[in-house]
Amino acid sequence: MRTLGLDDVTFWYPATANPALENITLDVGPGDIVALVGRGGAGASTLLLVAAGLAPRVTGGRLAGTVSRGARAGIVLPTPWTQLSGMAFTVWDEVAFGPANLGWPGHAITRHVDHALERLEIVPLASRDPATLSGGELQRVIIAGILAMDPDLVLLDEPTAELDPEGARAVWRLVRSLAGEGKAVLLATSDVDALPDVADRIVWLEQGSVRAMGEPSLLAEDALCEAGLGTTVADLWRAAALPAPYPLTVVDAVQRWR
Amino acid sequence: MSALHPFSLLAIAAALPAFAWILPAPGGGLATATLALVLALVPDVRAGARVVRVAVLTAAPFWLFLLLLHDLPTTVAMGLRITTMVASFAWLVAALPPDRLVEAMVARGWSLTLAYLFAATLSAVPVLKARARRIVEAQRCRGLSPRGSVANRLRALRALALPLVLSALHEVDERALALETRGMGSGVHRTPLAAPPDRPLERAARWALLLLCLAAVIWRLA
Repeated sequence: MRTLGLDDVTFWYPATANPALENITLDVGPGDIVALVGRGGAGASTLLLVAAGLAPRVTGGRLAGTVSRGARAGIVLPTPWTQLSGMAFTVWDEVAFGPANLGWPGHAITRHVDHALERLEIVPLASRDPATLSGGELQRVIIAGILAMDPDLVLLDEPTAELDPEGARAVWRLVRSLAGEGKAVLLATSDVDALPDVADRIVWLEQGSVRAMGEPSLLAEDALCEAGLGTTVADLWRAAALPAPYPLTVVDAVQRWR
Repeated sequence: MSALHPFSLLAIAAALPAFAWILPAPGGGLATATLALVLALVPDVRAGARVVRVAVLTAAPFWLFLLLLHDLPTTVAMGLRITTMVASFAWLVAALPPDRLVEAMVARGWSLTLAYLFAATLSAVPVLKARARRIVEAQRCRGLSPRGSVANRLRALRALALPLVLSALHEVDERALALETRGMGSGVHRTPLAAPPDRPLERAARWALLLLCLAAVIWRLA
């Protein structure tokens, strides 16, 4: 059973000859956490838009191949301030914007919104004006807004970009907990050091194509380190000319060192 | 004033310019312009004095151009009407929170997209002002001063306009994606979160305003 299936998907943005994604095949099932890594422009954000059903429906362009979604998808885009509805003067209303648009009854909206605020640890912000929040607070509000819609497929584009280290750790814990509930998670991040503890699978994208796919140990392989996508520990090990295989995390390195 | 139903605020903001054009000049225009400016000073309107200043400053260039093109009585007649329009809109933007308007429209059965279009128009001015302020601050950090000679100010204006327009266009794309993923295009009737109460007295007052406008038109045509 799969929540998201991409079969040989190629996507072109409007008025471009070269595809932004080329021959992508990927399955994400319930409880899976799949992380997309790659340099800027590799196609990770575009892949998330395709997975969300926004490309080409909203962005325009052309898609070849098959995208199958067995569930409702929710996507968190990288810049939180452009995702504000502009229609809410409190954080609570902002989080409730999506569920209300789905036409849910009032009591269901209240339940989901309160739960999402608790999960993101932003209950104290509930009555604040979203326009007065910091980038990190806003990012959590936006994530709460998506989770309040109870999607089965959660798509996250650089979810920790605006967050401090503790905020980032909280989001990664949340991602694991979402997967524990059976939600499928597909995310793009440059915080590769967090991935060994978070992701089940890594997809390395390069120029719109899948260059490699595998377990998180992929992030300690020579080719990824060469591309600047390895974990910090693996990079350091490699820079010190220590023998491969490189350790993936600090714990691995300590074990190897002993 | 903020307790009024959003449709009542819209009705007042629409009726004032209508009366300004229907009633004989300059008395009609003077009365409506004064009323629109006074409305902004009602205590619970956000930053009422600033609203008046914005309205006056926005209307001023129109007066100047009218004076260049017409005689004094025409300038006064047209100027007062335009001032009424500008002041009414500025007052509406300050007095009507967009979210209340959306809630009221949705509760009345309007489509969310149409309600959003109305509300986004009202919220566009403060959003663009805030962004312009951030761009000016960024340009200042890079040594461009928006003060001084006319040439300096024009240079600063050019440096402001381009990023302002480009960033607004870029944001439109991202906002469309964000709204879509948050159920704007779901095709389902939105659940009103806190529909503002619409008292019978207010509904009657709105109908009365409409009838007054029609009566004024008939009186002027007679």
